[in-house]
Amino acid sequence: MTRDWWKHLILILGVIVVIAPFYMMVSYSFKSPGEIDRGEGGFFGRQELMIDPRCVALRDPSRDDIAAAADRFPGQSERQIRDALMAEAEVECSMHPVVFNYSKAFTEAPLLRYLLNGVIVTVSIFLLQVVVALPAAYALAKLKFWGREAVFGLVLFCLLIPVHAIALPLYILLAKLGLTNTYAALVVPWTISAFGTFLMRQFFMTVPDDLIDAARMDGMGEFAIVWRVMLPTAIPALLAFAIFSIVAHWNDYFWPRIVVTGNRDLFTPPLGLREFKGDGDGSFFGPMMATATVIVTPLIVAFLIAQKRFIEGITLSGMK
Amino acid sequence: MAGLNIENLTKRFDDVEVLKGVSLDVADGEFVSLVGPSGCGKSTLLRIIAGLEEQTSGDIKIADRSVAGLRAADRNLSMVFQSYALYPHLSVAENIAVPLRMRRLTATQRLPLVGRLMPGARIQADTISQDILTAAERLEIAHLLDRKPGQLSGGQRQRVALGRALVRDPAAFLLDEPLSNLDAKLRVQTRVEIAQLHRSLNATFIYVTHDQVEAMTMSDRIAVMMGGRILQCDTPEAVYDDPDTIEVAEFIGSPKINILPLTYGTDGQLSLFEQGLGLRGTGRIDGAVSLGLRPEALHLATENAVLRGTVAHSENLGSEVFVQVDIPGLENRVTLRATPSQRAFLRVGAPVSLGFDALAALVFDGNGHRVRGIQVAPRSATEVA
Repeated sequence: MTRDWWKHLILILGVIVVIAPFYMMVSYSFKSPGEIDRGEGGFFGRQELMIDPRCVALRDPSRDDIAAAADRFPGQSERQIRDALMAEAEVECSMHPVVFNYSKAFTEAPLLRYLLNGVIVTVSIFLLQVVVALPAAYALAKLKFWGREAVFGLVLFCLLIPVHAIALPLYILLAKLGLTNTYAALVVPWTISAFGTFLMRQFFMTVPDDLIDAARMDGMGEFAIVWRVMLPTAIPALLAFAIFSIVAHWNDYFWPRIVVTGNRDLFTPPLGLREFKGDGDGSFFGPMMATATVIVTPLIVAFLIAQKRFIEGITLSGMK
Repeated sequence: MAGLNIENLTKRFDDVEVLKGVSLDVADGEFVSLVGPSGCGKSTLLRIIAGLEEQTSGDIKIADRSVAGLRAADRNLSMVFQSYALYPHLSVAENIAVPLRMRRLTATQRLPLVGRLMPGARIQADTISQDILTAAERLEIAHLLDRKPGQLSGGQRQRVALGRALVRDPAAFLLDEPLSNLDAKLRVQTRVEIAQLHRSLNATFIYVTHDQVEAMTMSDRIAVMMGGRILQCDTPEAVYDDPDTIEVAEFIGSPKINILPLTYGTDGQLSLFEQGLGLRGTGRIDGAVSLGLRPEALHLATENAVLRGTVAHSENLGSEVFVQVDIPGLENRVTLRATPSQRAFLRVGAPVSLGFDALAALVFDGNGHRVRGIQVAPRSATEVA
């Protein structure tokens, strides 16, 4: 037992707290509704064949169906034919819970459409944030102008304003402009990122002045310096910012819920989760958790790929 | 290539006056060093010439054309920085290409990916890569063209920075302490190479350094700067042998010049410790007079010399020995350059008598200005002993 065992203990407890919801999410996405309700089946569930009652209900044979099937079942009564057809339907509608959950996730709601919306919104937000934040950060870090410290103070002040405080005025503004229920409403309010400006400014402070002067001697204008010199040297910091920005807006439920009121074509993935919120007839936790798993997977994969550079970016160790 | 004229330049940062009226003319093809202690304004002067900093007043002309208000990019000057300032994300070839691409290609031709398809881009790209190769071969870095700056040694980076400066044909080269990040051996080697480069390019060089050895060995002329002024601008020989002020005499030369207090008699005789030196001033000399003697102007003398003391310390450099001598009545030790064969007489604590060459004596008045027209009495024309 090392002397630092208590540190590991605290960390392990922390990990359990963080991991538990993910464990539940992934586990539920594998299980049948019964297993979820009764809390059985371990992590993967028993994966026994289950019958989808809705699928069967949809195949409830009509009179015409029975008449059409009479050839296949010669000499049997209508009642027997109907039972035979129902049995066939049950066979066709039986599947493993994992298949049920994930196929429901994609068929019940247009999840692919929601994922595409998520990509469009988060990528546009991030690109526009970079277009605004990088020149601003460059000016705040490297250019000398009257009132620079005051402007930077304002940026820091903006970091303190919670989104929810300005949500209502923003909504009214967008509504008056007739922009609710558009991609613009999802993207535009987030294009100016105080956090991005702050983070990039801190990184740019570490870039040597000589490098910028050399670029000026080489014939670059100030914008050329931002895009051709500062941007490539700031890739680690930019990646860190990308993770923050993309995670925040990919997972955002609050803002899309406010500005997208009717048009389901504009739903982002978190809004898609609502589709499985059963109102009267119970909830579809299995498909819901399958959807949630599908939604978070791209982020986790992206983070794992960018992990090393991401940590570099946060610790601001870029140039030296 | 072009000459450069600086007229009465001043620069103020808030209430600190960094440059107090600097004037300097640099001829076409000349190598001028700006040398001075740190904080003397030499780097600021260079940055103002480059256009990276704006002067408070005064004018700069490059090739007889005023560059007031022109951006650094439009002045057609190349600069080499102390930290080399290479773009860390670009390869050596791309680093050297930047100034050419920014000047020869249009904005659309510089676009990533599609730029190559623009009309004329291919021909330009070919001439650019040809020029890069020529510059790289001149500096012997052709084998490094594909590497990133992070994979290069200090000396190699320094060459790439030089390559980036000389790949185009600028009006003048500005070098800001380019050797100070190199180790001592490489510095000596690169010093020679830069001097040779200057000769073969026949270009105008303005070279900022705090190291007087670099200034002495490479320059056509040295401008000694102190406190925001150019104290003297002349050939290395003149600055060393014939300094205008005591500050210049003290700054240039290693080890430092010996300064001894003199008295100026009413008869014009200059004397040290009440003993006449055979030096006679003409006219009035203000304030406390002092005598400057380079270590090599001193030599070991027989008895009865004016300067007598004991050896306090000696530094043997192999080819020569610098001996510090404690002289009673003097605050500072006097440094003497001796030959290694004399080391036997120069053990620490040994009494020594020093004579000096009166012709090499430099006399300064109380304000530190040089007093010229000192007459040397015939009897002591070669030695005062």
